[in-house]
Amino acid sequence: MSGVSLKPRAPFEARVDFSGITPAVTGPLTLRELEHLAVPHGTRSVPLAELFFIEGAPEGVLLIEIGDTRLDGVGAGMLEGELIVDGPVGAWAGRGMAGGILRIAGRAGDFLGAELSGGRIELAGDAGAHAGAASSGSRRGMSGGVLKISGHAGARAAERQRGGLIIIDGDAGEGLATDMIAGTVSVGGAIGPLAGRGMKRGTIFATSVPALPAGFVDTGAHELVALALLARRVPELAGLKDWGRARRLVGDTLLGGQGEVLAPG
Amino acid sequence: MILNGVEIRDTFAEAFPMVGTRLIVTADTPEWALVAGRTTTGFATSVIGCGCEAAIERTLSAEETPDGRPGVSLLIFAMDFASLKKVVPLRLGQCVLTCPTTACYAGIETGKRVPLAKTIRYFADGHQISKKIGDKRFWRLPVMEGEFVCDEDTGSVEGVGGGNFLILARSRGAALKAAEAAVAAMGKVEGIIMPFPGGVVRSGSKVGSKYKGLFASSNDAYCPTLRGTRPSALPPEVGSVLEIVIDGVSFAAVAEATRVGIHAVCAVGEEGGVVAIDAGNYGGNLGPFHFKLREIMGTEGGAA
Repeated sequence: MSGVSLKPRAPFEARVDFSGITPAVTGPLTLRELEHLAVPHGTRSVPLAELFFIEGAPEGVLLIEIGDTRLDGVGAGMLEGELIVDGPVGAWAGRGMAGGILRIAGRAGDFLGAELSGGRIELAGDAGAHAGAASSGSRRGMSGGVLKISGHAGARAAERQRGGLIIIDGDAGEGLATDMIAGTVSVGGAIGPLAGRGMKRGTIFATSVPALPAGFVDTGAHELVALALLARRVPELAGLKDWGRARRLVGDTLLGGQGEVLAPG
Repeated sequence: MILNGVEIRDTFAEAFPMVGTRLIVTADTPEWALVAGRTTTGFATSVIGCGCEAAIERTLSAEETPDGRPGVSLLIFAMDFASLKKVVPLRLGQCVLTCPTTACYAGIETGKRVPLAKTIRYFADGHQISKKIGDKRFWRLPVMEGEFVCDEDTGSVEGVGGGNFLILARSRGAALKAAEAAVAAMGKVEGIIMPFPGGVVRSGSKVGSKYKGLFASSNDAYCPTLRGTRPSALPPEVGSVLEIVIDGVSFAAVAEATRVGIHAVCAVGEEGGVVAIDAGNYGGNLGPFHFKLREIMGTEGGAA
């Protein structure tokens, strides 16, 4: 069997840890083997078939119908293939993912795409706090790949990010890109307070200059060839071609940081 | 074989493997892109003395370049990969980085990587900014004029260097006219450059010399003023010989350029004072690539 479709039998009564159940894992298994795949559910471990109706799906795809906010770790550790959730997911979706595509039609909980290193996550709804950030205790957040959030992102998105691209179409909550090491985050809506505090390097693209911590220095407006290049090379950043000049604010200089906030200017 | 009164001699051009790379250089205006291109490929006629052979492959419209500005594509060839890795960053740092408004991008994606900004980013003294999205990395170097944007590295190809043909004409003027026609036509072939001044060599060389330590010396068999004093390849009516040297990214590209060039020379023809087309070789034992003139022109034989 190549593709798998899972449909929850009922709303989950406890949190379900779905990490490690990726298209690469489910693909080679037969329906029967899948039924017995152990899944952490609350404090116990239960067979997959106890939680889901299991059916076939197109090659390489793992489809989760309906979704559930108690379904944690969806697509965590994914390396290849496509995982589609037709609804909301819980925390840690796409954590440590290194390849493949994770599409979520609903909203996501905290730590979406935490420590993502490759591949692509597309979220149709809002994300919780710490999207693309580092897991608790980790020093580095997302390091590669693309995390696209069509809705709003909660607090501390891109915290300690060190690579890759985060696109937030809506607003970003408080503390965006706190302690950012490198990488790019682009916000289409408003940016909450305290963005970029402790930023070392990396870029925040904003639609207007946000309120920034004291460590940011305004270098003025510039014609940047790099924006034209990004607009053509990166489909997600195609809007940069209309910017003309860009205001460049560098920070967090209180910590010797050389990160930047760029806004049309 | 005779095309439009021009004899195509039964010989071949002998060429060598070279390692090459392509750079895309853009600027705010086509003029400045050309300035950057010409400067970067200056003093790069022959590996013998310049360390590389380079020229502008073609100009690029704004739509064709990575940043939407007008540009040029440059081909640079060296004898081996180690020398290529040495000469490209040198030229980039001295000629592109310094040229107003330019940016520099990889023109070849495949093959061994030749460093671009990977090497010259240190010019920015710690203020360099890297951006890597997907698997492509580029650098932004703050400079007095603004920012210099440059890809991390570019790919390379195993190409062919030293493809050539000789234009034997009645006079210097006739040889020059024919050579100009050939260069103009060959400029449209993709994947090749003609690294010599204006694409033309007036001092073709033979291997070796009577002087110790000289690797190449004047090709006396084709020097009209020596006819009769030395074994000569020139019939009495030939008064001047010019050579076109071609480096390309593949055998096919060089062969096509040879065909287009000879075709253009034959179009000038006997009336234009062209007598014959010849080619430079070393007996066939030195270079693995042989461009047999009659074979290449064979498809046009019917038009004689």
